[in-house]
Amino acid sequence: MANHRMAHDVAIVAMGCTPFRDHWNSSADDLLVDAVGECLEQLPDVAITDVDAFWVGTQGSGMSGQTLARPLRLVGKPVTRVENYCATGSEAFRNAAFAVASGAYDMVMATGVEKLKDSSQSGLSAVYPPSDGTDVDWTAPAGFSLLAPAYQGAYGVGDRDMRSTLTHVAVKNHANGALNKRAQFQKAISAEVVESSPKIAGPLGVMDCSGVSDGAAAAILVRAEDAYKYTDKPIFLKGMGFVAGAGEGLASDGYDFTTFPEVVTAAAQAYEQAGVTDPANQISLAEVHDCFTPTELVLMEDLGFSERGKGWRDVLDGRYDLDGALPVNSDGGLKSFGHPIGATGLRMMFECFTQLRGEAGDRQVADARLAVAQNLGGQPGSCVAFVAVLGNER
Amino acid sequence: MPDQPGIDAYAAYLPAYVLADNRLDATTAPRSGGPTRSVAAYDEDSVTMAVEALRHLAEPTGWGRQLLLATTSAPYDAKTSAGIVHEALGLDPGVSAVDLRGHRSGAAALDLVTRAGACAALADVRTTRPGAPDELAQGDAAAAFIGGSGTSPRAATLVARAAHTTEVLERWRLPGEQHDRVWDERFTAEVLVEAGKAAATRALADAGLSGVHHVVVSSSNARAAATLRRALGGDGQDAMIERATGFTGAAHPGLLLAACLDLAEPGQTVLLLSATEGADAFVFRVGDDIRTARTGPTVRDQLAAQQQLGYGRFLRWRGLLDVQGPARPAAPAPAAPPMNRRAGWKFRLEGSRCDACGSVTTPPRRICVSCGIPTSTDSPSKVSLRDRVATVVSVTTDHLTTMPEASVAIVIADVEGGGRLSAYAADVPAEDVAVGMEMTPTFRRLWTTDAIHNYFWKLRPTTAVLDKDTP
Repeated sequence: MANHRMAHDVAIVAMGCTPFRDHWNSSADDLLVDAVGECLEQLPDVAITDVDAFWVGTQGSGMSGQTLARPLRLVGKPVTRVENYCATGSEAFRNAAFAVASGAYDMVMATGVEKLKDSSQSGLSAVYPPSDGTDVDWTAPAGFSLLAPAYQGAYGVGDRDMRSTLTHVAVKNHANGALNKRAQFQKAISAEVVESSPKIAGPLGVMDCSGVSDGAAAAILVRAEDAYKYTDKPIFLKGMGFVAGAGEGLASDGYDFTTFPEVVTAAAQAYEQAGVTDPANQISLAEVHDCFTPTELVLMEDLGFSERGKGWRDVLDGRYDLDGALPVNSDGGLKSFGHPIGATGLRMMFECFTQLRGEAGDRQVADARLAVAQNLGGQPGSCVAFVAVLGNER
Repeated sequence: MPDQPGIDAYAAYLPAYVLADNRLDATTAPRSGGPTRSVAAYDEDSVTMAVEALRHLAEPTGWGRQLLLATTSAPYDAKTSAGIVHEALGLDPGVSAVDLRGHRSGAAALDLVTRAGACAALADVRTTRPGAPDELAQGDAAAAFIGGSGTSPRAATLVARAAHTTEVLERWRLPGEQHDRVWDERFTAEVLVEAGKAAATRALADAGLSGVHHVVVSSSNARAAATLRRALGGDGQDAMIERATGFTGAAHPGLLLAACLDLAEPGQTVLLLSATEGADAFVFRVGDDIRTARTGPTVRDQLAAQQQLGYGRFLRWRGLLDVQGPARPAAPAPAAPPMNRRAGWKFRLEGSRCDACGSVTTPPRRICVSCGIPTSTDSPSKVSLRDRVATVVSVTTDHLTTMPEASVAIVIADVEGGGRLSAYAADVPAEDVAVGMEMTPTFRRLWTTDAIHNYFWKLRPTTAVLDKDTP
């Protein structure tokens, strides 16, 4: 299968990201206006009319490109609405990148938004097409909780070690979120708080789950050769891969729930384009899809950061802590930054962008040069997966 | 009408739960040896129990001309519930499907089956108001029969039958009501005893018999049942079963007959008397092949396997205790066209088997999920997984379930011979489901949304008693 770098390299020259939280007084329209506004503020010489084309990712907070065109009063512009489960924000970014790399446009914008808190429910709820009624009515945590016992069984990890590993992920990401004014939960938490939280699905409690919140994010992309016209510190897209799984993990026997094969493939594509051969040592930091604590554990192995079956030890050893060898989710991740679905992929990019530009303040990762943004949607056995490598050198 | 009317095969189905104590705020142990009632789980109704009973029938030479469903608790008004059962069994479309309603419908279905070449399920779910005097005397069960097919019924030949119709206001309810209203049973007992005696006398006379080996009495009125059993010289086996299950409505004559046939010897005679809204009496002679006429578990084995259920859960299952659930939207209602297009999967758990690599894809797809080769569109290979054992690969517990339980287990299980199922676990505490457990598909009602019952298959633990293939 062909896996080429794009005809033109692409750079991000500006980004915006709203705080993720319960925005009781903001609509999806307001959040998009805020995120796009912050993004444009960074480029004083650029007006929104200078942007040639737009993408807006939302899972359920709007239909069609008018989701963005109306609130921003875009006149005569092409706007594409995309949806790809919880990887929706990344999908907006990916298609925007292709558009500018193709030469069709000189400057494009990728946006993502989700307004979840207008519902009276705490979890995620999506509307699916009419069906025969034979699917399990999975909650997201129930689907992802299948990872934990499968991982334990495959690698002989005891209940206490597994619990400590999952707890470490939650504690770490909340500690990181505590350093981030945009995060939904800016409070460090103790292991005891995590482990005594009410059970939601299998071994997972409330504190193993990501925050449900409202938010939006935006990015302006140009071809790499043009990037320095707009900023001294562009961030370059080095490689990206995307896989929509065929769902074989749930439709046939064989899959064992210890990995996301879709992520492994997407990562291989992104690494090859980026020339990354040793991700465990070459990557400075990673933003990964910690929708639930066991997801982050499995991703450490799927992304090649830990050996198979050793990820839990690396987590417990602090390898992925903010002061560890490879900080993961330095902004708090889905866990404490929150997870407004359509915005999340771009929020990951926003942290990579901030870190690679050296602007992350208290949570700055020293000498950050290469970052991974990894975003997925669906559930183990049947998911979509996005992986990008970003760098501050072309 | 066949030369020798009778029953070719039979099966009984008892749900997995029994309620022994209906005291609110009980602080002392329940009286031991008291009556108990059989309890359908929250995901069962007369349709699902009918399917489970009929699945266990040893199919002799076909299902006959008709599928009858006799019940007082049909899940739909107006819509024929037997049609759902028909689809789940995969019967030929040439077999018609019809519901019989009312307390007397069980005996009527049995009568029709013995003569007409038909199959019938007698199934019922019974409730009373909490604390009603007969709360533990009403129960849930199903029984299934095939009969009237030929010249030599394997299970039992119908020797004689007599009916005695009496209009009496005994048990009734208005459309939409959940519980029967009951007239003073001392009055109705007299009427039913008189009708029962008349029917029994006539049937025995027609059979040329002065006595029988087994007397089986089923009545909606417990006082009438006791009197008739004494008067007809019964040995009390029927009363013993009833004391464990409760009166199971339209299913009751079938259930008690099945329990009798489980033990009866070839050549013995059986008087079955159903006394409700009049009476129906049947005299059977037990067939030489009675032991092969049953392939499902016996009534007594199923009784022994039942799990005790607490009163609080019972009330919640029946909607008699409205418990705050999670803040979660109702599970979606299924839509008619996809249910119709995918009936093989939804009602019979048919996956697609790849002609090229042999793997099974579940739910079925046009293109094999394992090798990517399209199945032939004119005759895609379907394989039914409903009678196969599936082994749990992974399991979780949903603590935010919209079902009337604190939590339910959801499993991923691999089916023997290929295919993978994501399914709710049934008839087992969520915490008892473990990787490696063997489970068996069971037809259940997953949920009801927008007045549409959503039927599909769950998985229950495979057990030696319930899943042995031969008697």
